Amino acid sequence: MRSFKVMAAGVGMALAVAACGAGGAGGAGRSGTAEQDPSAPLELWTRTTPGGDGEKGMKKLVAAFEAATGHKVEVTAIFDDFETKLSQRAAQKDLPDIVMNDSSQLGTMVSQGIVREVDLGAIKGSDQLLEPALAAARSADGKTYGVPYSAQASALLIRKDWLQKVGLAAPTNWDEMAALAKAFTTQDPDGNGKADTYGLAVPGSTKRGYASWYFSNFLWAAGGDFIAKQSDGKFKPAMTTPESVAATKWFRDLACTSKVVQPGAATMDTPPTNETFEAGKTGMYVVGPYLMPRFDSSLGKDKYQVAPMPKGPKDSTVLAEGGSVYLMAGSKNEAGQNAFAGFAISAEGQKIGMQGEKAFIVQLPVNKGVDIASVRPDPRWKLYADAYREHGRYAPSIPNWTAVRQSTADTVNALIADCGLDLDAELKKVDQKLGEALSQQGIGAS
Amino acid sequence: MSVREAARVTVPAHVAPAATPRRGQRRRSGQWWVPWLFLAPALVLFVYFKFIPMAQAIGMSVQDVRPYLGNTWVGGANYAEVLGSDGFRSAAWNTVVLAVGQTAGSMILGFCLALLVEGQTRKLTFIRSAAFLPVVVPLAVTAELWRIMYHPTGDGLINQVIGLVGLGPSGFINDPHTSLASIAVTGIWRGAPYDMMIFLAGLAGIDRGLYEAATVDGASTRQRIRHVTLPGLRPVFAILFVLAAVRGFRTFTEVFLLTNGGPNGSTEVVMTLIYKLGLEQSRLGVGSAGAVLLFAATLVLTVCVQLLRRRRSA
Repeated sequence: MRSFKVMAAGVGMALAVAACGAGGAGGAGRSGTAEQDPSAPLELWTRTTPGGDGEKGMKKLVAAFEAATGHKVEVTAIFDDFETKLSQRAAQKDLPDIVMNDSSQLGTMVSQGIVREVDLGAIKGSDQLLEPALAAARSADGKTYGVPYSAQASALLIRKDWLQKVGLAAPTNWDEMAALAKAFTTQDPDGNGKADTYGLAVPGSTKRGYASWYFSNFLWAAGGDFIAKQSDGKFKPAMTTPESVAATKWFRDLACTSKVVQPGAATMDTPPTNETFEAGKTGMYVVGPYLMPRFDSSLGKDKYQVAPMPKGPKDSTVLAEGGSVYLMAGSKNEAGQNAFAGFAISAEGQKIGMQGEKAFIVQLPVNKGVDIASVRPDPRWKLYADAYREHGRYAPSIPNWTAVRQSTADTVNALIADCGLDLDAELKKVDQKLGEALSQQGIGAS
Repeated sequence: MSVREAARVTVPAHVAPAATPRRGQRRRSGQWWVPWLFLAPALVLFVYFKFIPMAQAIGMSVQDVRPYLGNTWVGGANYAEVLGSDGFRSAAWNTVVLAVGQTAGSMILGFCLALLVEGQTRKLTFIRSAAFLPVVVPLAVTAELWRIMYHPTGDGLINQVIGLVGLGPSGFINDPHTSLASIAVTGIWRGAPYDMMIFLAGLAGIDRGLYEAATVDGASTRQRIRHVTLPGLRPVFAILFVLAAVRGFRTFTEVFLLTNGGPNGSTEVVMTLIYKLGLEQSRLGVGSAGAVLLFAATLVLTVCVQLLRRRRSA
């Protein structure tokens, strides 16, 4: 009996604390502009491994900024649970001044009210930004909430020695790509006498929506889409359009019918998938430029080549992504925030960000005036930069893109894992889920 | 006296707390705060890192959580959404299946292991430590090892083994039909040695004389296990059941690392769903509602087991 009393007391206390917590947190809106102090040091958070190359690169950029402007910046690198830690700081109403994170986080951050609107007129050099990168920093209401500083796009990595072995050229369309994948799988390109090679490496896990993220390269090139914007600015689910169905079927056939995708793809996130390419188990891999330094040292620069994505039924659209400088709400030094964003996108800032073999923080420049070849003479970077400028497409800015990516990743994952599933039925199901997610976010077309 | 009665008489669990009246008086009259003093450091840590976050989760579960804009009260909407979604129901079902499978599997295997390695020989100490290793190895390492062993083609480790007897190759974690069972096997492999240790401790508490008496009465090994060992271990079973079931309900790491709920949602458990909702999609209110429901289920289960135990021992 005694233990029950203690437990009751504990629950009572817990509820009392909950009541206090709720009272304190509720009601308070955005507290407007904080008192300004143009000499206040800026706290900068960057989503990269602490102590890693990304942090070193960021510190280099910050040092140049400090030397150029006199503002003081304190860099904090966080990788795990970045968004959670940011939420905690938001709850304490004490946000860092600047956050450098994926452009696709925009919707979430705007809906949480933790970023302030960017006045592009106050950011030096913002007229030099590439339009698609800038568009990715605009939220659904047309206002700008971030300053893009880096971009990336997808291209196709192919094992060069395997190409020679099977006597084929880099694919230029989907048919050639499927044929090459088939050849890599069946013709023993590594010559070890075993059928242990596969055509295409696919991170098909649902973790962070990888399956959907990877598949978007194919879906968009086929003219399909996850969600389609209507004329009134609202969105409709689009996974059951003929184009989307055809793209899904083509992609699924790689895994189910011709079986050219590495086994176990359905439970692999990016690290094990990278390993299949490095270890010579897979011959093609669709990735951004950030993996080149890794593969150059693990696999060898001469062992693989970078090719543009093969043209799909519609065009060569590839997934574009990037990083943005977010100017956080409640900062004491908005002038410093603006100055930093301006420096990050300036020709000088972009060049510093691109320097180094591994420690670069700018993948592809977003400043029209910066030619990547002037910093990185390696033609493979030029290829990525061209793919970005000519065919790159960002995920649309909606309040919560993660929800869309998660449901579609679940579906793609299900379809490649269970070859017995009815594709049309699964796509209908995901359309329904997407419809619900869109209306929850208040952007669903009726 | 039959063997069975003997076992019941010698279970000492409820004899000890019956303290002498004098001691009881002293506790009531004066230094009641002494035990609390000793508990204080732990309690402070618990309050700060456990109870306050738990209370906040309860608070968040009835709110639309927007940390900077301020939360808004939504009442039961989060709960309605969680309970109404197919995803949560199938995750709850998977969780129950996984919890039951892992609990039963680890307890049976742990019990068998405990019987096998019970005794005082020096070699057994080594074997016990070896058998205990899976508990000590970090879960992330365990998961990575099992991923390699579960490689879905014929040259995967386990597929080679089951190939020897003409089975397979199985997709294991990559096949929606076998993925949940594969995760359960990993969980059993990890949980059984832990259960084994607790069983060993329980076995050590059983009076050796009872076995001798049973042998003299002409009981076979099976009868001795049934009438001496099992009744003697009853409190151990109850504790283990609660621990294992709670562990089963809260399964997260191995699922997150091995399949992340895939393929086709076949291994989605409540914890991975809460993680996805709360931390990946930043819908902390809905995620909290799921967490509170999970907490409630665990609490109900624990209380039920305690009540059952009390009724039986009364």
